[in-house]
Amino acid sequence: MRIAVAYKWAPNPQDALVGSDGSVDWRHAKAGVSEYDPVAIALGRSLADASGAELVGLSVGGPDVASPMAKKSALARGLDRAVVVADASLQGLGATETALLLAALVEKIGDVDVVLTGDSSIDEGSRMVPTVLGGALGWPALTDVRSVSGTAGDLSVERNHRGGSQVLRLTGPAVLAAAVDAVVPGVPGVRDILAAGKKPVEEVALTALVRRELGSSVERVRIAGPEVRDRKRRMIEGSDAAVAAHEIVAALRADGVI
Amino acid sequence: MSATYILVAGDARIGNLVATAVGTSITAVVVGDRGVAEAVAASGVEKVVWLGDPGATPLEAFAGQVAALTAAARPDLVLAPSRPADLVLAGAVAARLSAPVYTMASAVRVADGAVEIDRSVFGGIARETLRIHGPVVVIGDGGEVGTDGGAPIEEVTGAPATTISVIETLPPEHAPVDLSKARRIVSTGRGLKDQGDLSITARLGEALDAELACSRPLAEGVGWFRRDRYVGVTGQKVTPDLYVAVGISGQLQHVVGARGARVIVVINSDEKCPYFGEADYCVVGDLYELVPALTAALTEAN
Repeated sequence: MRIAVAYKWAPNPQDALVGSDGSVDWRHAKAGVSEYDPVAIALGRSLADASGAELVGLSVGGPDVASPMAKKSALARGLDRAVVVADASLQGLGATETALLLAALVEKIGDVDVVLTGDSSIDEGSRMVPTVLGGALGWPALTDVRSVSGTAGDLSVERNHRGGSQVLRLTGPAVLAAAVDAVVPGVPGVRDILAAGKKPVEEVALTALVRRELGSSVERVRIAGPEVRDRKRRMIEGSDAAVAAHEIVAALRADGVI
Repeated sequence: MSATYILVAGDARIGNLVATAVGTSITAVVVGDRGVAEAVAASGVEKVVWLGDPGATPLEAFAGQVAALTAAARPDLVLAPSRPADLVLAGAVAARLSAPVYTMASAVRVADGAVEIDRSVFGGIARETLRIHGPVVVIGDGGEVGTDGGAPIEEVTGAPATTISVIETLPPEHAPVDLSKARRIVSTGRGLKDQGDLSITARLGEALDAELACSRPLAEGVGWFRRDRYVGVTGQKVTPDLYVAVGISGQLQHVVGARGARVIVVINSDEKCPYFGEADYCVVGDLYELVPALTAALTEAN
């Protein structure tokens, strides 16, 4: 069995600087393996260990994706190897384009039985890449997956379902998006990071993929800063808690919210 | 006239999406039981295409068929509510049409053969307006069940993927919480040192007749709260009259989820905490003293 994990090398928007005109400056935002992707890698590692499968990381994006730092960070989390497509033209791709490229990559490496993904990426956060990927491959996609066990052609998947849970059986390939808290991934240790340096990483040229282009043209006509309500920002000194409490109660009364 | 397809998986609450697409010819593609198809037919859509009773088949198994019949109609706009199975249908449609897909849209306009979308990007740090020529898929808040008209229901024979089947379904252990309708919310963050200390915010919640919520680490990290009680970009979006944030520093991921609150009170020991920048009342001090004092003052005032 071959298990693929699609991961993203992405910065945290929290660390980006946003101009009042909406321009986003990413220079101070350090990239990393996107926050929920380690959950998918950990799920994949358990499944691979239990079934003797190979665990392959897949990533598409800008040139950073192939940097030594990015490769090591991903591999140290438990992948056996990685296959990446890094190209300047792929910086900041949307969900559909990312998923269509990942589908092409899955088809290129071949023999993949299941693709795991994180719940959503830290920067785009659309939650759509796994579902578009499933569509592009013609495989069923399931989200909010808590656990997965079994072997190729006979997988048991538990997922969150309408506040409860559901166990499903899969007899063919599938794309599974891990629930954010499916497992708590460990932090890679020195040994993991050293081992990661020796694991193989294959760089696939964009031109080597059979790529489907977006069927629509997208034009950005306006950018703006976030829509932030004007707040009072009244400071209340709290060293005397009782005094502060009465001031808050009076203010909330005046605002008509209590 | 432009054509809109609305994708529905087992839940007829699509009122907001119908409102978004007013002025276009709206077809709803419904996966789910007949009751769902009938409720959707009475929601202001022109036509319902229903894939028949799914029985025990998971709704996601119909994604391929939904994609094929939606793509064949070449709609200008495809809308789907932001619910798990609906996202799977929407993903399959986007793949089939090679259409871009957008979430976090605040407005969608269809005009002159193009679709314009206002949306927030990168977790809410900025906004953009996009103009798209060609098909586009937009995910939005489904809203409530609509009540308008009785559209015809065309039943097509369902042909779900056969490699996926349900073995067991376990109901929720607790009734799910919907914080989106709460009028007052007391929300707790990592400033609280110990799970046992949650009693102090719980008492404040009682005094305010408020729902209890939290920031993400308290639900996904330490598990002090259930996941349906965390407010944030990936959690609940809330619009109460009053939002009291206790020991929450103001990570963007959280702040965005409560931006719709009318009045925000932030209690934090760090006078430089980022949340003060988006608060009405910035209370600087020890939450272990301030929260009980506030509870007492409210109880006294009542």
